[in-house]
Amino acid sequence: MYSPGYYEFCCRVKIVAGHQALEKIPGLLNDLNANKPLILADKGVTGAGLVKILSAAIENQIEIGSIEDDIPQDSDLKVVNHLANVYRDKGCDAIIAVGGGSVMDTAKGVNIVVSENADDLMKFSGAGTLKHQLKPLIAIPTTSGTGSEVTVAAVIADHQKNKKMLFTSYFLLPNAAVLDSRMTLTLPPFFTAMTAMDAMTHAIEAYTCLAKNPISDAHAIRAIAMISQNLLNVVKNPGDKNGRLALANAATLAGVAFSNSMVGMVHTLGHSVGAICHVPHGTCMSIFLPYALEYNFHKIESFIAEILFPLGGEDMYRSTPKNQRAEKVIELARKLNQDLFDATNGRHSRFLKEIKDREGRQMVPKDKLTEIAATALGDGSIFYNPEELDYDDCLMVLNAAWEGVPLDRSRIKKG
Amino acid sequence: MDDYRELKPRSKLFKKIYIAIMLWFVGRSIQAASRVDKDIKKEFDDFPEGFTFSLGVAPNGPYMVVGKDKQGKVKYLGWNRQGKRIDVDMKLKNIEAAFLLFTFQESTCRSSARNRLIVDGDVPTAAAIVRVIDMVEVYLLPKLIAKLAIRRYPSWSIMRTLIGRSRIYFRAILGY
Ligand SMILES: [Fe+2]
Repeated sequence: MYSPGYYEFCCRVKIVAGHQALEKIPGLLNDLNANKPLILADKGVTGAGLVKILSAAIENQIEIGSIEDDIPQDSDLKVVNHLANVYRDKGCDAIIAVGGGSVMDTAKGVNIVVSENADDLMKFSGAGTLKHQLKPLIAIPTTSGTGSEVTVAAVIADHQKNKKMLFTSYFLLPNAAVLDSRMTLTLPPFFTAMTAMDAMTHAIEAYTCLAKNPISDAHAIRAIAMISQNLLNVVKNPGDKNGRLALANAATLAGVAFSNSMVGMVHTLGHSVGAICHVPHGTCMSIFLPYALEYNFHKIESFIAEILFPLGGEDMYRSTPKNQRAEKVIELARKLNQDLFDATNGRHSRFLKEIKDREGRQMVPKDKLTEIAATALGDGSIFYNPEELDYDDCLMVLNAAWEGVPLDRSRIKKG
Repeated sequence: MDDYRELKPRSKLFKKIYIAIMLWFVGRSIQAASRVDKDIKKEFDDFPEGFTFSLGVAPNGPYMVVGKDKQGKVKYLGWNRQGKRIDVDMKLKNIEAAFLLFTFQESTCRSSARNRLIVDGDVPTAAAIVRVIDMVEVYLLPKLIAKLAIRRYPSWSIMRTLIGRSRIYFRAILGY
């Protein structure tokens, strides 16, 4: 059994999960000495009626300071500063963030500004610049994917200076994450598939990349099992409340795992495709996942093999000879993509060339691959991938993932 | 994998001196390698003029600073970071972490994976610096040891490694 010589692990987020978890929020705030939260969301969240459900669940016990849902997909400094002013004007003393990654990041940014009484958020960018406890923050994820309800990081853009700043600090962890099946019940099947594959990738990369550790491993294994047992069912039966809650739990588990052991080349390549071609994150994750397993195979075969148990289930694990288990995992990862493709009538993409935007245009033209490969070399997650990745390696993987053919493993440089 | 022992103060001083010498030599070797190896030169070409980075041990050193001057030449700027603006700051958390790295028991990647190496600054630039350090290690170290220090030993020609190595050693020792 693998054990790193040394590792660090920290997760101090209280998790409250259930079909009626929202009702617990007034009590949670009370414990944190707060009673007037600012609710942050985006238009999609209010449009789906989720803030209404939240308000109904808490408003007879607590006064809501304000509800702000004007957070765009690519939130930035201006939005953060505006919301911080709202927080102050309305005399709020806590933040409830309802949404996906962008809302969570914005809420963390607002929290820095109001807690540090800062006029310039950017002064607090980087690692370890925050020194104090921030205001109470409760996170309610509305997708089962990013895991940002339990991660220490926030990315906030400054569009005027055309910059993206990364903030990392244990103080950015929400005080509590509330997982309620009502919050993901209306997520369309295609989004459910793609966000859950992001969570699946978090778990698998946490389990196989360089910073893996026993505590993250335990979280990752459980996350993989819950996603593989529930994802296809939920995509086919979106109203399955128990399945929804299982996926929400899995995404949080995976978030805990990867925020303590980082991610590797699926994210390296995925971030770059996202940055250049604006493809949704989860779509990139599901496409690159089997390729990363193939590429790193010679370094991590035994870890991949162990994943067969949670991914394929007990019977499959037992009936597969030990030396074929890792290959079986790669096969299952591809099969899962195919099944999701079928279950979403082709909206879940299996390779780069079939990704289309709303107007049906191809999002990743082949001639963009060189630019994507060059960008990938500058992504922080590249450090944590088991095998080295240079420009040619990235391009080789990108080409295969574009066509949708398995990697030619004889071309992988093994040093 | 790793072996932990109680450390006596004396060995700590020894480690500090060892790391200081290594930093000095690596710093001068980066300068040398930037003039010998075209891949390393190419990484530096993308950095702006006046750019600096530092590698060292928190909180009190030793450190090394390398920068790019107005003519675009890469220069080892010494061990003193006082008064210098550092664009990319790479700090090992303590002497022990630095000793693991500089005795090549741990790669740069593993060091940061274990939270021992803290990088502050622009991430793409930091990634390029790590690639430069990896390549310099390939030049400075015998293959057997370099293989422990980096993730994948490159498939350079014997000529590139051997000629490059002697030129870099020569320049690093003489300091030009
Ligand atoms: Fe992700």
